[in-house]
Amino acid sequence: MVVTTPRFSSVLRVVQSAVARASGAVVVLLVLSTLVFLALRLLPGDPAALVLGDRASAEDRALLRARLGLDDPLPVQYARFLWGLVRGDVGPSLARPGVSAFGAVADAMGPTAALAGTAVLLGATGGIVAAVLCVGPWLGARREWVHRAILVASATPLIALAPLLTFALAVKWRLVPLPGDPESGALGLLFASALLAVPLGAQVGRISRASLMEVASSKFLQVAAAKGASSWRVWLIHGLPPASGPISVVIAAQLGALLGGAVVLERLFERPGLGTLMLNAYAARDLPVLEASVIAAGLLFVAAQALAGAVHALVDPRGKAA
Amino acid sequence: MTRRLDARIWLVVLPAATVLLASGAYALLSDASPSRLHLTSSWAGPSLSRPLGSGEAGVDLLPLVLHATFRVLLLAFVVAGIGFAVGTPIGAAAGLLRGRLERWVLRACDLVQAFPTFLLALAVLSAVRTPARWHIAAVFATTAWAPFARIAAAQARTLSEAQFVEAARALGATRGRTVTRHVLPNLLGPVAVQIGTAAAGVVLGETALGFVGLGPADGVSLGALLEQGTLGMLRAPHVLAVGAVAVATVSGSLQLASEGLRRWVSGAK
Repeated sequence: MVVTTPRFSSVLRVVQSAVARASGAVVVLLVLSTLVFLALRLLPGDPAALVLGDRASAEDRALLRARLGLDDPLPVQYARFLWGLVRGDVGPSLARPGVSAFGAVADAMGPTAALAGTAVLLGATGGIVAAVLCVGPWLGARREWVHRAILVASATPLIALAPLLTFALAVKWRLVPLPGDPESGALGLLFASALLAVPLGAQVGRISRASLMEVASSKFLQVAAAKGASSWRVWLIHGLPPASGPISVVIAAQLGALLGGAVVLERLFERPGLGTLMLNAYAARDLPVLEASVIAAGLLFVAAQALAGAVHALVDPRGKAA
Repeated sequence: MTRRLDARIWLVVLPAATVLLASGAYALLSDASPSRLHLTSSWAGPSLSRPLGSGEAGVDLLPLVLHATFRVLLLAFVVAGIGFAVGTPIGAAAGLLRGRLERWVLRACDLVQAFPTFLLALAVLSAVRTPARWHIAAVFATTAWAPFARIAAAQARTLSEAQFVEAARALGATRGRTVTRHVLPNLLGPVAVQIGTAAAGVVLGETALGFVGLGPADGVSLGALLEQGTLGMLRAPHVLAVGAVAVATVSGSLQLASEGLRRWVSGAK
């Protein structure tokens, strides 16, 4: 057995966990890209007819098929597709000639990453604060109200809540700018992220409360309190780290839902982003852009998941590389 | 004691049952169309003849909501049923056989459960000209098995260590008999409870797809209704309110039933 210093072994654990997750990530991306590839080629119907419409002439369709390489044998197409992915080039956009598909995706990635990133920050902070308020002594009997609020929020679907709150806050009372307005700036982004953070925060709050309650009866918290630490110190410095494992797991598990929520919000606000790009590419049957954006979204998703896993391994040394 | 428990069970299941029966009865018995247009009453508010008002191009919201609810509930229960039928044996096998199989199954569950269903839907639906309900069902069914498998695995693991199973084994029961007579019957309840949660998830997923324009081509979906409400929120806020309340009611009642039954099943055992 190799003797390692505690510092080095913790770094090693993070690396191990990152490698394990990266191999899972490669599998996810491979499955996703293969699905996109096969869906467009195996299901009945000529993709060229999907793109050009039924009334396109046979010559036009043949031309497009040749351009997309649809006449080659399937394994050849697949190899070329994968090679294109590795190089980050699946060809130019069909709807906007001259723009490379991955270029369009790169432009759209920024706003979506900002929206989702801010939402994770807000949701995690809000959920943890709510959970700490639920178990700490500050609110007395009113703690139960915070718990109920968490339960109500977790049962409220974002798809119903977001348009209603937008109507009330942005349209009727004009308290916040409409996030789709290019001039809405930081406040618009904050409002959209706050909406996206509600379901995430509710899940984080539920899980944090449960794991904090599990820690609550442990001896080391009593010791900390007996040494005269303030309640804030007891819960935040001593209680939260051992409870952080389940919290980072739940955030990682919610990332897929978060991505779906981001697409819904981008559509609601007509905000530029990956979701808008995907939906437009779907509507125009812009296959290269659709392939590139689905794969880029998958990449964003696995990267965020790997990050959550690394954070988990870092704050909770008991966690094994999963 | 059992009587009181039964009464409370009826109370948690009642909202979901009411939504299902009311929308089903209306969809099957009434001949009001969910898609007939009546241009002169576009965006008109609630009235006696149209209690929920009218939406875009004068579509009557009451039949639209009830038909959409019934259709999405059918879709949700079919998908959840498939998930139950596929996931339970996988999970039970993993929990009973342990070892590498269990690790692989749980790993696959992690992957599938965290996977953005929306991307999958987009990839599959992009290949069809007009998405039909069964396409959407197929997308959700490919990931629906995971939560069932996870719960079945956990249950099977606990049950195979339970004392009554050990007792059966000690009395000389064969492995097959222990599994079929003692483990499986006790495993089905806690797993079946997940059907409500899974169905609620499908309802929200279909609504989200409908909202962004990937819903069923007939337009009879709560998501399409919400999209109408968003477009017309300045002229006719009632459309948005009807859509939002309908979505929250359908998914909320399913979650309530599932959560209540879960507590009852775990408490009764």
